Amino acid sequence: MGSKQTVFTHEQLEAYQDCTFFTRKEIMRLFHRYQDLAPQLVPLDYTTCPDVKVPYELIGSMPELKDNPFRQRIAQVFSNNGDGHMTLDNFLDMFSVMSEMAPRDLKAYYAFKIYDFNNDDYICAWDLEQTVTKLTRGELSAEEVSLVCEKVLDEADGDHDGRLSLEDFQNMILRAPDFLSTFHIRI
Amino acid sequence: MTSRDRIKAIRNQPRTMEEKRNLRKIVDKEKSKQSHHILQFNCCVQCLHSISQTYRRSKSSLSEILSSISLWQKTLKIIGGKFGTSILSYFNFLRWLLKFNIFSFILNFSFIVIPQFTMAEKNTLQFTGLEFFTGVGYFRDTVMYYGFYTNSTIQHGNSGASYNMQLAYIFTIGACLTTCFFSLLFSMARYFRNNFINPHIHSGGITKLIFCWDFTVTHEKAVKLKQKNLSTEIRENLSELLQEKVKLTFNQQLTRFSAYVVAWVVSTGVAITCCVAVYYLAEYNLEFLKTHKNPGAVLLLPFVVSCINLAVPRIYSMFRLVERYEMPRHEVYVLLIRNIFLKISIIGILCYYWLNTVALSGEECWETLIGQEIYRLLLMDFVFSLADSFLGEFLRRLIGMQLIKSLGVQEFDIARNVLELIYAQTLVWIGIFFCPLLPFIQMIMLFIMFYAKNVSLMMNFQPPSKAWRASQMMTFFIFLLFFPSFTGVLCTLAITIWRLKPSADCGPFRGLPFFIHSIYSWIDTLSTRPGYLWVVWIYQNLIGSVHFFFILTLIVLIITYLYWQITEGRKIMIRLLHEQIINEGKDKMFLIEKLIKLQDMEKKANSSSLVLERREVEQQGSLHLGEHDSSPDLRFRRSVQEDNPRA
Repeated sequence: MGSKQTVFTHEQLEAYQDCTFFTRKEIMRLFHRYQDLAPQLVPLDYTTCPDVKVPYELIGSMPELKDNPFRQRIAQVFSNNGDGHMTLDNFLDMFSVMSEMAPRDLKAYYAFKIYDFNNDDYICAWDLEQTVTKLTRGELSAEEVSLVCEKVLDEADGDHDGRLSLEDFQNMILRAPDFLSTFHIRI
Repeated sequence: MTSRDRIKAIRNQPRTMEEKRNLRKIVDKEKSKQSHHILQFNCCVQCLHSISQTYRRSKSSLSEILSSISLWQKTLKIIGGKFGTSILSYFNFLRWLLKFNIFSFILNFSFIVIPQFTMAEKNTLQFTGLEFFTGVGYFRDTVMYYGFYTNSTIQHGNSGASYNMQLAYIFTIGACLTTCFFSLLFSMARYFRNNFINPHIHSGGITKLIFCWDFTVTHEKAVKLKQKNLSTEIRENLSELLQEKVKLTFNQQLTRFSAYVVAWVVSTGVAITCCVAVYYLAEYNLEFLKTHKNPGAVLLLPFVVSCINLAVPRIYSMFRLVERYEMPRHEVYVLLIRNIFLKISIIGILCYYWLNTVALSGEECWETLIGQEIYRLLLMDFVFSLADSFLGEFLRRLIGMQLIKSLGVQEFDIARNVLELIYAQTLVWIGIFFCPLLPFIQMIMLFIMFYAKNVSLMMNFQPPSKAWRASQMMTFFIFLLFFPSFTGVLCTLAITIWRLKPSADCGPFRGLPFFIHSIYSWIDTLSTRPGYLWVVWIYQNLIGSVHFFFILTLIVLIITYLYWQITEGRKIMIRLLHEQIINEGKDKMFLIEKLIKLQDMEKKANSSSLVLERREVEQQGSLHLGEHDSSPDLRFRRSVQEDNPRA
C-alpha cells in the first residue's frame, strides 16, 4: 500500500478510487495518458490541484477517439462548460463512464446527453438528424435521413410529444441489451 | 448503508467529479460524526470500522492484481478496434472457458497429481514421439490416466498424516464439477437478467441501429466500413418497412413449407446416419485394431468424427440456398439447432458406446482406455481446427479475392466457432474423471487456439456487415453450455459412478464393486469415530434419504410458481403503465392545443379592442361625427360575431 508515486496525495488517490470505477494502478496509467497528450501543459505534480485544461484538439487526437463519429460530442458532454476542453477530473470521469464496469443507467444518461446535440434535455428530430448524418457519413439522402428520424420517433416516443425524453431513451435502451457492451471504450 | 453501498451509490451518480468528491466528503463527515457519537458508547465499533477499512483496501489491491494479470487485454482491444463487439464476444467466451480449465487444472494438480507423484512407480515403457497423438504407450503409465493412480492411503513416516487417494480422487473431481456447475448457473442467471427482454414490448429495429453505435471500433478503415454497412442496413430496414407485406399465394406457401420439411428431414437424416456410422465404426474398431498392429490405427475413429464435424455443418449452411426464411434471425437459430443436434448426438453415441461396451467388455483398465479415446478425439479436433484456421480460411480468402471475385472476403462465423468450443469443453468435462490432466491439455490448446484464430482473423477476414445481437447470442451459448453440455456430462458421470464396476487391478477404485462404494466405506469408518457422527447423520438423513429430496423439490416448485405469478403480475403492470404514459402524452397535447387556442382568442380579442379604440380616436379626431356613430358599434359587433363561431 506504500504509495511510491508523487503525483497525487494519498487522499486524492483514494477520492479518485471511490468516485470512479478504476483501481489505483489504472488511475495512474490514465494520468500518464493524459499527461502524454500535452506534456508541457500538464504538470507532474497534482497535489496542489492545478487548474489545467487540455484543449479539445489534443483530446480528439487520442487513438481511442480520433475515428469516433461522436468524439466532439463526447468531449463536450464531459467537459466543464461544454467547450470540449477537459481537466483531469473530466478525463477520468469520461473513461470511467465509458468503462465496462459502469452500470447501464449511468451509461444511458450520458449517451442521452451525447445524442442531445442542442442540449435542451430532449432528443428532438433535429438531434436525430445530426446523429444519423454523423453515423452514415453522407451515404444516405436527405429524404432517407428524415424518414429514419420519423421511424425512430414512431418506435421510441412513448408519450407521443414528438421528441425523446430521458425516460423514453432509457426505456428503449432496456430493449437493447447490446448497449452495455457497445457503449464502451477500452483504454 | 454499508460503506460499500455508499461508494457504489456515489460512483453511480451522473455528476461531475467535483460534485462526487464533495458528496463523498459530506458523507464521510456524517459517518465519522455518527461513529464519533457511537464511539463514546461502544469502542467495538472502531474495531469493526478498521476491519472494514482493511477489508476494502485488501479487496481493491486484490482486484488490482487480478486486473494486472488479466490476459490478452491489448490483443482484445485491437480485435475490438478492427472488428467490433460481436467478434470480441467469441474471444471473451474463449477466455472465460480458459478460466474454467485453469481452475480445474490447479485443483486436480494440487490434490491428485502431486500426491501421486510421491508414490510414483517407475515407468518401464518406451517413449516414442507418436504418444502425443495416440495417447497410448509411454503415457499409459503416467499421471495422465486413471489407471496409474494408486488406491492406497499415502502415509509418510509412521505418525504422518494419511492421505486417502480414493477419497481425494472422487472429492477433487466432485469439487471441480460442483464449482463449474455453480459458476455456470450464476453466469447464466446474470446474462438472463441483463439480456432478457420483455417479449410483449415490440422491439424497435431502426432505433437500436441508431443508438447502439459500437464505440469499441477505433480503427479508421473499420469505422468507415462500419458506417457504410450501417447505411446499407438502414436502407434495407427502411425498404422493409415501406414495402407492403407480400402475401404469398397458397402454392408459394406450400412450396415454402415443403422446402422446410424436406430440409429438416434431410438434416436429421444426415445427423442420424453419421451417428449410426460412428457407432458401427466404434464397434468395428476393436476388431480392426486386433488385425492391424500399426500404432497409428487407433486414430481412425477420431479422424472420422472430426471429418464429420468439419463437413456436415458446412452442408447445413448450404441448405440456406433452398430454404427461405422471413427473418434472418430465424435462419441463424435453425442452423444452430441443427449443428447442436449433430454434435450432441455424436457425443451421446460415443458415451453410450464407452459406458455400455468398453466398460463391460472385461478389458484390463477400461477407464484408461476411455481416457485415451477422449484424449485422441480432443487432439484430432484441435488439429483439424488449426488446419482449418491456417489452411482452409487462407484458401478461402485466395479463392474469394483472386479466383471467384464475386464471393468476396469471408466473415467470421461466430456461431460455428463457439459451438466448436462448446464441443471441446464437453469432451474435457466428460474426460476429467478418466484423465485428470485433460484440463491442462485443453488449457494449452485454448491458448494456442486464441493466437491461431487471432492471426487468421487479421489476415483472412473482413468485419461483419450485419448487426449481430451479441448479448442475446451469448446468453444462448452459455445456456447451451449448461443445458445439453454440462448436464449431459453430469448424467454420464453419475451412471459411471453408480452403475459401473471399476477395473480390478488399476486405478484408485480397484476391487470395489461400484465406484460409489468408496464413499459408503468412508461413511462406515466415520461412524465408528465419535467426533464425526454429525457427518454420518447428514449423509444418512439428508443426502441418502428420499423424503428430504421430495420435500426440497416441493418447496422449490412452490417458490418457482410464486415467482412466476409475480412476473405475470408485473407484466400486466408494465402494460398498464405504458398505456398510462401514452394517455398522459395525449392529455398533454390536448391541453397544449387548448392553451394555444385560448391564447389565439385572447390575441384576436385584444386586436379587435385595438380596432375599437382606433375608431374612437378617429371619431374624436374627425370632423364628421354623426354618420359614424352607429358604424363603430356595428363594426365592433360584427368583429365579435366573427370571432365567436371560430372559438
